[in-house]
This record gives sequence, structure tokens and C-alpha cells, in this order.
Amino acid sequence: MSHCENRVETPVVATAEARQEFAEKVLPILESRFGAVRDEDDQWGFTVVVEGAQLRNVVLFLRDGHEYRVNMLLDVVGVDYLGFKDYTGPRFAVEYALKSVYNPSRRIRIKVRVSETDCKVPTISDLFPIANWQEREVWDQYGIVFENHPDLRRLLNHAEFQGHPLRKDYPAHKRQWLSTNDFLLPELEARLEAKGYKIISRSKEVVPDAEEYLTGSIKQ
Amino acid sequence: MDTQAKEAGIFTSTVDFVVNWGRKNSLWPFPYGTACCAIEFMSTESSRYDLSRMGSEYVRFTPRQSDVLVVSGTITYKQAPILKRIYEQMAEPKWVISMGACACSGGFYDCYCTVPGIDHIIPVDVYIGGCPPRPESFFDAMFDLQNKIADESYMKERAERVRDQLEAIQLKTAECKEELISCSHAKVDELKGKAEGLKRDMIKKATFWKEP
Repeated sequence: MSHCENRVETPVVATAEARQEFAEKVLPILESRFGAVRDEDDQWGFTVVVEGAQLRNVVLFLRDGHEYRVNMLLDVVGVDYLGFKDYTGPRFAVEYALKSVYNPSRRIRIKVRVSETDCKVPTISDLFPIANWQEREVWDQYGIVFENHPDLRRLLNHAEFQGHPLRKDYPAHKRQWLSTNDFLLPELEARLEAKGYKIISRSKEVVPDAEEYLTGSIKQ
Repeated sequence: MDTQAKEAGIFTSTVDFVVNWGRKNSLWPFPYGTACCAIEFMSTESSRYDLSRMGSEYVRFTPRQSDVLVVSGTITYKQAPILKRIYEQMAEPKWVISMGACACSGGFYDCYCTVPGIDHIIPVDVYIGGCPPRPESFFDAMFDLQNKIADESYMKERAERVRDQLEAIQLKTAECKEELISCSHAKVDELKGKAEGLKRDMIKKATFWKEP
């Protein structure tokens, strides 16, 4: 009987009051323990600015340090403030959007400011596995390096691509021709081997030179 | 001859006409669909519009069995080498239809990652505008392509191809001849040198043993 009652429990809904309450409860702890500052630019949400060195501690604390359990990483976003109106500060920022799966009103955004000269942020891909690809994307588009990331390669752009296209100083009409498509077979073979398959013959990459690509056919 | 032609079951024609008739009524498309234009192509193919009415019976998913490359959708720079490779894998004769605004000109994607028109990579026979184009416009493009094929001359093409091949063979033969001549000259020189050396050695030996 009690089992049935549990099933018809009213769903938890996000309300403005609940959000306000969450922010008021969590902000003092973050301020006192990690030196976080609430971002006043974010008028509708709840954003805190922390130092890069404190990022992992903050994320770890929010994930399993207290009763609220903000345990879902929604997104990792890069920001380029070059040419932003009335802004004086480090050029880049990385934002982490977190949310609790138990209560949708528990939402928080963590912002880390990154200077152009020291373009580094500690990775959180060991705390949230989803951050692996999200951080790869931010590195791909903005060139922000995530320290101790296990596999920091390009995600969206091609391996031959030069530069980071979502930076504000990347020329908008610049086009880059690529000579070859992605060679993903070794990765696939490694994955098959890890599952216990035997690779009989390894594939070899075809590397056409630039002239050949433009003039004629690709040799075998 | 005159009487034969009047008999039933015999008619006279040109090779060009027969070949073109065969080609234009059996255009098998290769669907290179990367975006929403491919959805429109699907409806063109399926029963309501039914592209197979005009001979495009099968959609072949291998470039080696298809005649028309239908590029329907946005082509990014990352995709461009793949498209070029697919085009090169198709057997002659081959034609290309560029379907939709993105494939024709990059469409509204004026950015770092989109190719501004597939004619930067491969030759295009028919362009279709629209975002996405309706099946009717696809049919229109196919009719245009058929007309284009009807104007082609198989025999002329063949003659040109044979001439090109002949020229290439002659060129290659001349090259090979030159190479052979220079190679044999080098060989003769080498052998001469060797013989000289042997001779010198013999003389040396002979003079050595002659001394008391």
C-alpha cells in the first residue's frame, strides 16, 4: 500500500522561491570556504565566480559535500570577452552549468575567468565523465587548455584545422581547405581489441599531398 | 537495304541516340544527403512523387553502381574530402545534381566551416534552388539533366577519349624510349669502365710476374 502512495507523489517543480532559497543557503558556504563571489551580471540565475585553483573543490563540494547534491553537469561553455562593452578583466571565461537531478530548482553556474597569457583551467573530467567531451569542445573552439585532461583533442573541427574559430579575433571569412578525411580506423581497432576481438590486418592511412588533392585522384 | 528497312522489326538509328536513350532513362542516383534536402529527396523517391517513373528506379548506396551524385545538404570543410572521394569513385559517365541552397552556394551558412558551394570541389551539372526545394523542382532538374544527356555524343566522346589515350600512349612510349636509351648508354659506359679496369689489372699482373 505504502509503495503505491509513493508512486503518486506530487512532482517536484522549480519555483522562484525555491531557487532563491537554494541560492541563499549555498552562497554563504561557497563565499566563506572557497572565496566565491556572486556574479551580479546574471540577474535571473545564480552564478558564482571562483578562482581556477578552487574550481575542483567547489565542484566536488556541490556534487557530494552537502545535502543538496547538485550532481548533474549540464554544460561547459567558453566565453570570449574581447570587445565586450565596458569590460575590464581577463579575456576568457569558462562556465559550468550544474543542476540537481532531485530538485530542478537547485541550479548553479560556476564561472572561472581565464587570462589570455595563462590560458589554463583544471579539468573536472574525472569528477564528471561528461566533461571530457565538453572540455574538448571548449578547447577546440576557444583554445583554453584543460590541465590533466586525459585526451585533449579537437572534437568538432578537423585535425588539420589551424586556430580556434570561436575566438573573436578569428577572421570570420577565413576558409581552410583540408586535404584528407579523419582516419578513425586505429581508434576503432583499439576499441575492438579491448573487447577481445582479434585484428587480422591493420589498416593503413592514405596520405595524399596537397597538390594531388587539388589536381587529380587520390592514390591508393 | 531499302526493302529490309521496310520490314517489321527493323528500324535504323544512330548509336548516339540509342546510347543516350539508354543512359537518360536509367539514371541511378547516389543520395549524398547531409541535411533537410535529403528528406525532400526521400519524398521524391517514394510512392507519392515516384522518381522511378522516369527510370531512376534504384537509389544506390555505393558510388560504383550509380550515375548521378545527388548532393542534398550542407557540405562542411570536414565533409569536403569525403565528397570528392565519392565523386572520384563513381564510374564514367557521371553527373552531379546540386540540390538546395546550401549545396549550391553555402546558403545562409557564411562561416568558417561551410563550403560556399560544392562547385569549389566537383563539377556540377544541374543546380536546384530552394531551401529545401520541392519534389517538383527535383523532377525539373532531372528533366534538365535528361535533356543535357540527350545532347551528348557518345561517338564523339569515344573518339576524343581514344585520341587522348593514343596521345598518352605515344607520350609514354617516347618517354620510355628516352629512358631506355639513356639507361643503355649508362650501362655501356659502366661496362666499358669495368673492361678498362680489368685490362689494367691484367696488365698490372702480367708486369708483376714478368719481373724477376
